[in-house]
Amino acid sequence: MAAALTNQLHALVNNMFATGLLDDQFQQLQMLQDSSAPDFVSEVVTLFCDDGERIIGELARQLDKPNVDFDRVDSFAHQLKGSSASVGAQQVKNTCIQFREFCQQRSRDGCLKTLDLVRTEFYDLRNKFQVMLQVLPNVLKIHLTLSIEFH
Amino acid sequence: MTSSVAAAAPSPAPALSPALSPKVVAPPPQKAADRKVVAAAADEVPNEMHVLAVDDSSVDRAVIAKILRSSKYRVTTVESATRALELLCLGLVPNVNMIITDYWMPGMTGYELLKRVKESSKLKEIPVVIMSSENVPNRISRCLEEGAEDFLLKPVRPSDVSRLCSRIR
Repeated sequence: MAAALTNQLHALVNNMFATGLLDDQFQQLQMLQDSSAPDFVSEVVTLFCDDGERIIGELARQLDKPNVDFDRVDSFAHQLKGSSASVGAQQVKNTCIQFREFCQQRSRDGCLKTLDLVRTEFYDLRNKFQVMLQVLPNVLKIHLTLSIEFH
Repeated sequence: MTSSVAAAAPSPAPALSPALSPKVVAPPPQKAADRKVVAAAADEVPNEMHVLAVDDSSVDRAVIAKILRSSKYRVTTVESATRALELLCLGLVPNVNMIITDYWMPGMTGYELLKRVKESSKLKEIPVVIMSSENVPNRISRCLEEGAEDFLLKPVRPSDVSRLCSRIR
C-alpha cells in the first residue's frame, strides 16, 4: 500500500517537473529539508498557497475598479512572481511575467485574460501541492529522501 | 498558518510597537512561518554568527531563514525595513553580524535601509546584503556604491549564501 502511494507521489512530482509546473528551485527547497526542519517544504508551500490566494483576490479587486491603477496591479503581480519564483512554481512565475507586461501596456483586457490564466494555473498547482502535503504527508518525507537520489 | 503579527504598512514613527516587547524574549516556536524574533537557545555556540533577514514576503523569509540556518547561522527575520531599524536602534537584536534585505519593499526599501545603516555610527560596520528578483545594473551599482557588501538575485540559493558568508567571517 505504502509502495503504491510512494510510486504515485513520485509520478506526480516528476510530472510536475516534466510539464514545467515546477523548476529547479523546488528541488533546492527539497534539499534544504532536514531533521532540524522536517516540515520545511510543506511550510513554504503552504505560505505560497496562502499568499497566492490573497494576491489573486487583490488582483481581481484592482482590475474590477472603473479606473484601474496599473502600478498597483503590477506591484501585486510582482509579489506573486517573486513568491512563485522562490518556491519553484515556474509556470505561475512565467504567467506573472506576462501579466506585468500587460500592466506596462496599461491593457485591462490583457490583464484580465492573464488573471484568468494565472488563477487556473495557481489553483491547479495548489491542488497538486495539497495532494502532496495533505493526502500523502509521510510519503512525501520518504519521497524527499528518495528524490535526492533521482535528481 | 500565516503569522498574525503583520507589518504590511510600516508606521513612519519608530514607536515601540506592542508586538515587539513580549515577542522578543519568547522561546523560539518551531514553525518557520511563525518565527519572528528568536532568542538564542541555550545550547547554541555563543559566538555564532547572527543574521538579520528583512523581507516583506513570508515565502522569501522562510526560504532565506532556512538557507541561513542550514549554514549554522542564527537568524532573526523581520517583515519591514522600518521594523529592522527599530530592532537595531533599540538594541533588541544585539550582535548582528550581517543584514540581508530585500530591495523592493513597501514603505522603506532595502536601499534606504542600507543608507540608514551606513549613516549610523552604531550600525555602519554591519555588512548589508541586498536581494532582488530584478537584475537591474543601475540598481546593483547604486547599492554597491552605497556600501552594500553584495547583491544577490532571487530566488536565492544555498550556494549564493555560502559563497557570501565565507567572505564575511
